[in-house]
Amino acid sequence: MTRLARLEQSLLPHLDAAYNLARWLTRNDHDAEDVVQEAFVRAMRYFDSMKGAEARPWLLAIVRNTGYTWLERNRPADLVSIDDVGPLSTEVESAGHASGVDANPEVILLQSANRKLVNQALEELPIGYREVIVMREIEDLSYKEIASIAGIPIGTVMSRLARGRSLLKGLIENRMRKAS
Amino acid sequence: MTQKNDPTAEPMIARDATYYRAPDALGSRIRASLAAEARSEARSQVRPTLWRWGGIAAAFAAVGVLSWNVALLQARGSDEDRLAREVVTAHVRSLMVESHLNDVASTDQHTVKPWFAGKLDFAPAVADLAASGFALAGGRLDYVNGRPVAALTYRHRLHVVNVFEWPATDARDQAPRSIALQGYAVVHWTRSGIEHWAISDVAGADLVTLAELLSKV
Repeated sequence: MTRLARLEQSLLPHLDAAYNLARWLTRNDHDAEDVVQEAFVRAMRYFDSMKGAEARPWLLAIVRNTGYTWLERNRPADLVSIDDVGPLSTEVESAGHASGVDANPEVILLQSANRKLVNQALEELPIGYREVIVMREIEDLSYKEIASIAGIPIGTVMSRLARGRSLLKGLIENRMRKAS
Repeated sequence: MTQKNDPTAEPMIARDATYYRAPDALGSRIRASLAAEARSEARSQVRPTLWRWGGIAAAFAAVGVLSWNVALLQARGSDEDRLAREVVTAHVRSLMVESHLNDVASTDQHTVKPWFAGKLDFAPAVADLAASGFALAGGRLDYVNGRPVAALTYRHRLHVVNVFEWPATDARDQAPRSIALQGYAVVHWTRSGIEHWAISDVAGADLVTLAELLSKV
């Protein structure tokens, strides 16, 4: 089998995963397509370095890097940095309980929020939280896979998930209040 | 968090968010661009072998004048190799910090071209080819092949293209030749006595298109 055929066979099945991540990073259809296409060309160049790695996280790491490079050049304001060690802001705490990890009735209520509202709130979330939530909840990746894709320790993945969810919950609640 | 390995215990707040599926057309576009990339990689790997076989055939054929020609061919080959390496280095360096890329940042060729006047002993070819997918981004002075050269930057989709220009030692026009080096596509050609070297992380075929567009300017 040619290198091209091997590449297509191992990477093209993950095209949807690649597009979904790129779409959530760029928040735009057209830009997501550009990022994915560029990511596949890069993947082809580095394909020999993939070796035994699992194709999906390997490809997603390239998509993420490509997406970040694209945002740096075109929309640097999207790349807000997030504080992994500091205390939660008062805004987050007032939006919900800081830990926010219990599957309590409040969360169940949130889950019934409609898709459009969840989408909007998730898009509003700073990119560092948004990407871990997308990879965990929409793409069903493990903590370990997310850690390797984003290049951060597993502990950071977990704390970003917790804070991100807490922030997201606040954003959804705000929108629900406004809507009612 | 004791429930870290139990997904059911996680509050999946965004579970209902949209899973965006890739449009069909994207899949076909990617297949096409991967195939094009594979072809241009194959081409650039074939060429050195042809050169070598050419050299061997010539050496077998005769002595004297012929072997002199072979030496010239090889000198040219190694010259090309050395310049390609220099061009890759200059390109990578230009991208390391955003401020390295352009001394004059402008999409207007009438701003970029005059900027070089008085800084170089030749007038580089500058054109805004935004309509053809290569938007002029600016220019700077650089140092390649032991002399100050013009470096023009273009943007092609997500990519930065550097085009280095300097007066050619052999002023005859030369059609674009492409090389792949360290994952970069490099295309060089000579036109109106000016040697051009274009480099980027795009497909080699895209740079040949740029070469053809710039040759028409």
